[in-house]
This record gives sequence, structure tokens and C-alpha cells, in this order.
Amino acid sequence: MAKVTREVVERAGVDVDQLLELLVKNAAAELTTYYYYTILRVNLIGLEGEGIKEIAEAARIEDRNHFEALVPRIYELGGSLPGDMKAFHDMSACPPASLPEDPTDVKVLLKVLVEAERCAVRGYTQICNMTFGKDHRTYDLALAILHEEIQHESWFSEFLGEGPSGHFLRRGETSPFVRKFLE
Amino acid sequence: MRRFTLEDLARYNGKGGMPAYIAYKGQVYDVSSSFLWQNGRHQVLHEAGTDLTAALDQAPHGEDLLKGFPVVGVLIR
Repeated sequence: MAKVTREVVERAGVDVDQLLELLVKNAAAELTTYYYYTILRVNLIGLEGEGIKEIAEAARIEDRNHFEALVPRIYELGGSLPGDMKAFHDMSACPPASLPEDPTDVKVLLKVLVEAERCAVRGYTQICNMTFGKDHRTYDLALAILHEEIQHESWFSEFLGEGPSGHFLRRGETSPFVRKFLE
Repeated sequence: MRRFTLEDLARYNGKGGMPAYIAYKGQVYDVSSSFLWQNGRHQVLHEAGTDLTAALDQAPHGEDLLKGFPVVGVLIR
């Protein structure tokens, strides 16, 4: 634990135990989403599915990056990850992005993807709201992740016909916002 | 429609096998089926068995997310 790091956040008025619980739950959401997206990506096949595979893969890798970026902050603030992987899965801040019963229905699969991203957008908005002006490092991290989650949501939303996303596919490396937190 | 006081509502806190009920704008919703209300807690900050009308104004989502849950009663003051 980084003692002064935690102390200054507490003194700024943040309930650090609450914040840590949220960070661990969102880390769980990222890692489980990485797992579930792996299955979803494998099932994105055929004329419709193949077109979506590339963004599903970018989102999958970036969600794993988000997990990696969250872990140091959890330990800096005095928290830890649970030793039990099943407990970690079950405490996720978002429901499992499970493969739909009919994996050939690409629209249903897209809805699973977009709902997972929407849950993440809500979660990081909450963390940003809690830490804004009080815990600069967690805020910066949560905001970086939020930028990427918003892009993921917009990609999937566009494919669902909800309107243009205004975003382009990744050019170059993944995680343009979170990269600075990946050591 | 069942009528709940705040004291009645507090019993449905999602713990010890009790269902998880929450109140919003006078209606009582059963959120027990939600992954996000396990053990009567929601995103660390909110507890089942309470009136969350004011809390929802601060939440990063709107009341539309309550639509899928059954209404089990009304909250009386």
C-alpha cells in the first residue's frame, strides 16, 4: 500500500473502502468480459458475424488492458484482488456477457456486447463522479477507461442500427487512452 | 396492489433469503432477479429495502433500467 497516497484520498473526502470495492468489482467485470468476449468473438462467423469480429476483438483486448491498468491502483490504495477466482467472477460490477442461446443470431449477440459496454460506461462514470477533484490518479485512470468504453459502446450501437457512432476503427495499437497506465 | 411502509420495505433487503425490493417514486420493485442486486446491494453504494428515489437522480442511469422488474406494491408514507 502507498500510505500517503491513501491518506490524501481519504483526507479529500473519499470513502476509500467503498472506492476500492468499486475498483475491484470493475476489475472483475473487465476480466470476465475479456473471457466472455473471447467466446463471443469465436462465434462471430458468417457473412454478418465476420464484419463485427474486428471491433469485438479490439474491445476484448482493451477490456483485458483495463483490468491490467486497474490492478496497480487497487494495491496502491491498500486493496487486493480476491484469492478465489469464482468469487471474483461473481462480484463483477456487470452481468456475465454470456453467449446467447442462438449464437447464429448476430443481432442478439450484438445486444449482449452493447449492454456489457453500457454497464461499463455507467460504472466508470460513477467512479469518475466519486473521485473528481479528490483522487486525481483514480479519476485519470477511470476517465481513460471511460473514453474507451464509450467508443466500444458506439461501435456496437452503430452495428445495431442505432445511428452513426462518429468513431472510426482503431488504427494502430489498442487502448489509445489507457496505454499510459500499462507498464 | 400491496401497500408498504418504509418499515415493511426494510425487511425486503435481499439478505438471509429475503427478496430484494426497492422503492422508486412510490412504486415498489422486486429486483431479486438482477445480477446487479446480489445480496441486496447494488454497486457498493445502494441497499435493497430502501426508497431510492433521491439516489436514482445521482445514478449513472435513468429509471428506464427499472422497467424490466415487477412492481410488487406501492410505498405509503
